[in-house]
Amino acid sequence: MLDAPRTREKEATAAFDQVAVSYPYEKDPAVGPVSLAVRAGERVLLLGPSGCGKSTLLLALTGLIPKTIPGEVAGTIRLSGEPVDSRDPAGWADHVAHFFQDADQTLCGMRVEDEIAFALENRALPEAEIATRVTAAMRLVGLPEDWRTRRTMTLSGGEKQLVALAATLVQEAPLFVADEPTAHLAPEAASRLHRLLVDTDPERAVLIVDHRLDGLITSVDRVIMLGGDGRILAEGPPRAVFRQMQAELAERGIWMPLASGLDAELAKAGIAPEMAPLTLDEIFSALDARKVGPEQLPKARAVVSAFVDRRLPAQPVSSREALARLEDADCAPFMGPVVLHGVTMEIRAGEVLGILGRNGAGKSTLAACLAGVSRPKRGRRTGPLGGIAFQKPESQFTEGSVLDELMAALPRLAGKEEKEAQAQAILARWGLAELSRRHPYELSQGQKRRLALAALTATDRWPFLVLDEPLAGLDARGAAQVEADIERLRQAGRAVALVTHDMDFALKLCGRSVLVAEGGILVEGPTRELLADGDLLARAGLQPPSIMPALRWLERTAPC
Amino acid sequence: MLKTINPLVKLALCLGWIAACVAIFDARFQLATILTVALSLILLDRIRPLVVVGLMVPFALFGFGFLTTNLLFREEADFARHVAEQTVFASPAFSAGLTLFLRAIAIGMVSASFALTTDPGAFVRALMAYCRLSPRVGYALFSVLQLVPDLAAEARQVRLARAMKRGRPPRRIPGPGEAAGLLIPVLAFAIRRAGRAAIAMEARGLRVAGARTLTHVPPFRARDFAFALAVVALLSALVALLLSNPA
Repeated sequence: MLDAPRTREKEATAAFDQVAVSYPYEKDPAVGPVSLAVRAGERVLLLGPSGCGKSTLLLALTGLIPKTIPGEVAGTIRLSGEPVDSRDPAGWADHVAHFFQDADQTLCGMRVEDEIAFALENRALPEAEIATRVTAAMRLVGLPEDWRTRRTMTLSGGEKQLVALAATLVQEAPLFVADEPTAHLAPEAASRLHRLLVDTDPERAVLIVDHRLDGLITSVDRVIMLGGDGRILAEGPPRAVFRQMQAELAERGIWMPLASGLDAELAKAGIAPEMAPLTLDEIFSALDARKVGPEQLPKARAVVSAFVDRRLPAQPVSSREALARLEDADCAPFMGPVVLHGVTMEIRAGEVLGILGRNGAGKSTLAACLAGVSRPKRGRRTGPLGGIAFQKPESQFTEGSVLDELMAALPRLAGKEEKEAQAQAILARWGLAELSRRHPYELSQGQKRRLALAALTATDRWPFLVLDEPLAGLDARGAAQVEADIERLRQAGRAVALVTHDMDFALKLCGRSVLVAEGGILVEGPTRELLADGDLLARAGLQPPSIMPALRWLERTAPC
Repeated sequence: MLKTINPLVKLALCLGWIAACVAIFDARFQLATILTVALSLILLDRIRPLVVVGLMVPFALFGFGFLTTNLLFREEADFARHVAEQTVFASPAFSAGLTLFLRAIAIGMVSASFALTTDPGAFVRALMAYCRLSPRVGYALFSVLQLVPDLAAEARQVRLARAMKRGRPPRRIPGPGEAAGLLIPVLAFAIRRAGRAAIAMEARGLRVAGARTLTHVPPFRARDFAFALAVVALLSALVALLLSNPA
């Protein structure tokens, strides 16, 4: 451990003591045994590869496992010193606000204002106080007033996450537990959420699982890393953990802040900042403050330049033939009203096209229309059908096991044995080999996402693919696999349209992007140019990629 | 306008009208009911006529079963002769079958008008506030009511995924084979959705017992009573008209 673990202290808001959680019919625990504690006012980040049991651990915190979800919990869990099994899970609602990984698990399907008021109604607060707190929570999260009477089930994935955030923040519980709260949020909303989690109440303890670290990590007091075996791998202040464990975390496929990667490369060159950095700005401030001498500046520039180059599109904008094209199309969700008007765009062979925009802008609608699974209400679409990876991977599963799901995706001509061998090889590549006999619904969110993507990219039946939020719920290894597969497809002359909120991912992979905003396509062009235009990004409700400070530093220190 | 009426008032009126549909075995009354509901939805709640006609389709299919059963099995041996003489449409069996057919549509339309113009949340709140329904049961009922549109949304998503695998866009209305194929994934979704809703409610403090506040309870207002009076008056007038002009 890189820092003395603060478990078993009496004032711990939540404490796990040798806790191991097992699901029925599984011989190994899904997580644990682990011992950890979170104190009042402390912000703890729980990290680990997908499927390591992070969500399971959080579900056991208030006794949802085993009282509501079947499972067995060994060890002791205490909330404010009281054993968790002394109350029903509902009895802890005034103590723990739980933001689940899937917004549908936080929300009950009511109207937005009823959804936010629900926890307060259950606490029998006066009606006037509930009304005041609902309004305040909506303002805090930035929900428009006209959403009050909208049903949460009619909102987009990201919009639901915002409502779920308001519905949990309104509880004003001393412990806020959040499981991947930014998975479907646009950068602006993700930053707002991170600020809300850490800035609103200095006494509130926060236990958060998130893969998007940039923007959050500077507010975190302690990081706890779980290994693939569900046990604690490292624990300590983020600066120390990310610098000292960098190689191991990278090998295990655990997300790290962008700055940690650059820090490691600068360290190899012997010019790393003295204090372990958490942001690129910290690195460049340290390099500037040190007034790197003329002999060291080229060295630093070479390291930073190589680091940046690996995060910029390697290929120029494709000028090959269009595979599919929308002409003056009005796009609507299947059986829904028009949300995008007069869309004209195309996807070209051998390109990775970014579809970027804020939550609720209509990106998924555009994706379905471009892929051809949803017909435009007006205008026309030309070209063959594309494959599409939906935001909810569960919708794609039709088979009874992981292996069967993949085998069903492979071409029919292959023989059964050949097919199975091929499927097993693909599962191994995606880190799913050990889960081949499981039912797809039993997987973790990250594993489901990997299976959906593996099945979609396993066959060449579609000339182009549309991937809707492919990184949501994935660990760094899964993200690297997605990236490698996209590159493989692109090199094979196929095309990929990428709907993503990760601007760095878009910048790295997409030669060209479209910004979706204001009921249509705001602009289309080279991704690097679009993401460097601050005014345009603000108009589209987006933020620049995290790599931007490095680009600016390189420009600033360029030799005259 | 119907959306603004207190759900309990609406429920009582709908149940009353359904009871009348069951009690009055007269095709003219059933037809009048269908027209009244359809016009109310179109004129008072601005629901598109096509949607209203679409609503009738499942009930019509159901009612068609009554019609054919009456025609095929009541007449038995005489049926062929009736067909040959082309008098089947004037037969008492046809008349009874037609009334049953229209009654199925009428009852379906009254029920659909309630479902279409009532917010499930408001309905459950009204039941909890005025009928002392326990929150546990109330929110379970709420989840069931919410499940219907959610199932439809999930079915749409599954259809899109399958259309993609098949390589052609989905038809607007699924064929019988496709609809049957949706059954298991939609059922699985319903089970998962119910489990998630239960976890969501429990995690936010919904308990079996104990005091809780109810906000946004639909109040009883003068317009509710006026609406109830109007509906009762219309129903009475229709019944009186039928009694004075027996078929």
